[in-house]
Amino acid sequence: MEKPPPLGYGLGLRPIYYEEILSSRPPIDWFEIISENYMLAGGRPLAMLDRIRADYPVVMHGVSMSLASTDPLNFDYLRQLKALAERIQPAWVSDHVAWTGVHGVTLHDLLPIPYTRESLAHIVERIQRVQDFLKRRLVVENASTYVSFVDSEMSEHEFVREMAERADCLLLLDVNNVFVSSFNHGFDPVAFIDGVPADRVVQFHMAGHTNNETHRVDTHDQPVCDEVWALYEHARRRCGDVSAMIERDDNYPPLAELLDELQNMRDIDARISKERALSAA
Amino acid sequence: MKLADFQSLFQQRVLAGSGEADEPLLKKLRPSPRGAAPETLLDVYQTGYRIRLADFVSQDHPGLRAILGDEAFDALVDDYIDQCPSRDPNARWFTTGLPDFMRENARWRDDAAAVSMALFERAMVDAFDTADETPLTVQALAGFAPDDWARLAFEFDPSLTLLELVAGTIEAYGAAISEEAPAKVDKPAAGEHIEHAAVWRVDDESAYRQLEPDEYVALSEARAGHAFGDICQMAAFQQAGEIAPERLAQSLSSWFEDGMIIGVRVREDDDQASNTPSSA
Repeated sequence: MEKPPPLGYGLGLRPIYYEEILSSRPPIDWFEIISENYMLAGGRPLAMLDRIRADYPVVMHGVSMSLASTDPLNFDYLRQLKALAERIQPAWVSDHVAWTGVHGVTLHDLLPIPYTRESLAHIVERIQRVQDFLKRRLVVENASTYVSFVDSEMSEHEFVREMAERADCLLLLDVNNVFVSSFNHGFDPVAFIDGVPADRVVQFHMAGHTNNETHRVDTHDQPVCDEVWALYEHARRRCGDVSAMIERDDNYPPLAELLDELQNMRDIDARISKERALSAA
Repeated sequence: MKLADFQSLFQQRVLAGSGEADEPLLKKLRPSPRGAAPETLLDVYQTGYRIRLADFVSQDHPGLRAILGDEAFDALVDDYIDQCPSRDPNARWFTTGLPDFMRENARWRDDAAAVSMALFERAMVDAFDTADETPLTVQALAGFAPDDWARLAFEFDPSLTLLELVAGTIEAYGAAISEEAPAKVDKPAAGEHIEHAAVWRVDDESAYRQLEPDEYVALSEARAGHAFGDICQMAAFQQAGEIAPERLAQSLSSWFEDGMIIGVRVREDDDQASNTPSSA
């Protein structure tokens, strides 16, 4: 499987950190943008993105492709996405195993699907069409879900694996989403990570979530918790050198706290590398 | 159940919010291994939907919240979410229909001050991300012969919006976004008094300033493509007051200083000025 080269340790680019990033050049290897926030005619967001792109690799992460929706693909949206990709030349473009609305309405959320053969055939066909249109292999992310369905015919990781292989797409493994969904639905998060095709994984997402005791919600407003760090280590051991990043979307801390989380990734990865070197010696 | 039918049902229940009609969807859910009630889990999507959309409106309309107060503002947002579900994949555009919704909705259309604030704030949001252009300085005029000055016509930054507002809208907005913003700002008294504003973008930030009536007329005419000399003639008959050429030249200079002008040309006699109304 031919994959884009790993980018190192990245951060979700958010406006609150623009000035500090540009003035202090913190040790961040790359940035991920929310594509829709830059699908604009002009103004400050694009100006900032151009400045940051001049110095850093960037990947585009969308939330509105609605790959699993039964509405027609939105080619107006895809044309804007493609234009942005041509402008900033991202290392890759990603979106989710999710739908955002039907009948022309968008709920601005990543909504769950039953994992059925019908859903699988549907999303595979749409990923292929998007890849044909964008003329690039798409990177698709597992979403956090809070409900699961009696109609499902397979597990989520079986669905993701089959989807990736049939659509010949790449994967963004959101480690926090694996943990949140495994908690909410009672599956083994390690089995999930072991079940997805590691050779297609090009990116890890790490983030915090809210613990409501009976269920957890993917809020991106907390530090990464210990359980998710443990799962990250497992994912890293299984998937090898994959671009990894922190997502933070609310309750923004000083940038230094996010840099500490990136350092934590580096430390875990250095320890794994050292162990491997010792066992190989 | 087919995927399309499932998605229709799921969306219907998210849009409607939790209630007895959730039952058919709840029957489709697997029980939570943690003992969470299925209603609670479905409500993550139902409540999340409304919170997310309400947040978009709050971010774009701090002035509207300030003059309406939290209770009335939340009622407006609820009405808007209920009656105008988002149809653009980009959340940026969800709030853009709010002023039109208010003008067309019986509950809100008579609140002229609130509609005025909504229009002003939409212009501020729109100015933020319109297409990039490079503003000219007043030095651009140096390239034209004095004989041509009366025929000069100007092209304006696409972010520029001219507004006729309820008097007090601009002051109330300024109070709402100030660092010491009070929880509630006095709503402007809607009456016969109006004020005029220009909203545009400069140095990557939305900007605004109040316009005197004569400058509003002159700027409207200039943006419609009328030549400098023609505006002098036309403006002299405006009820807002006579504009001397010196006053118009002063306004022109400030438009350059404000970064509003992106092009200057000599207007030929057969050029057609735009008849498009230049106010929002």
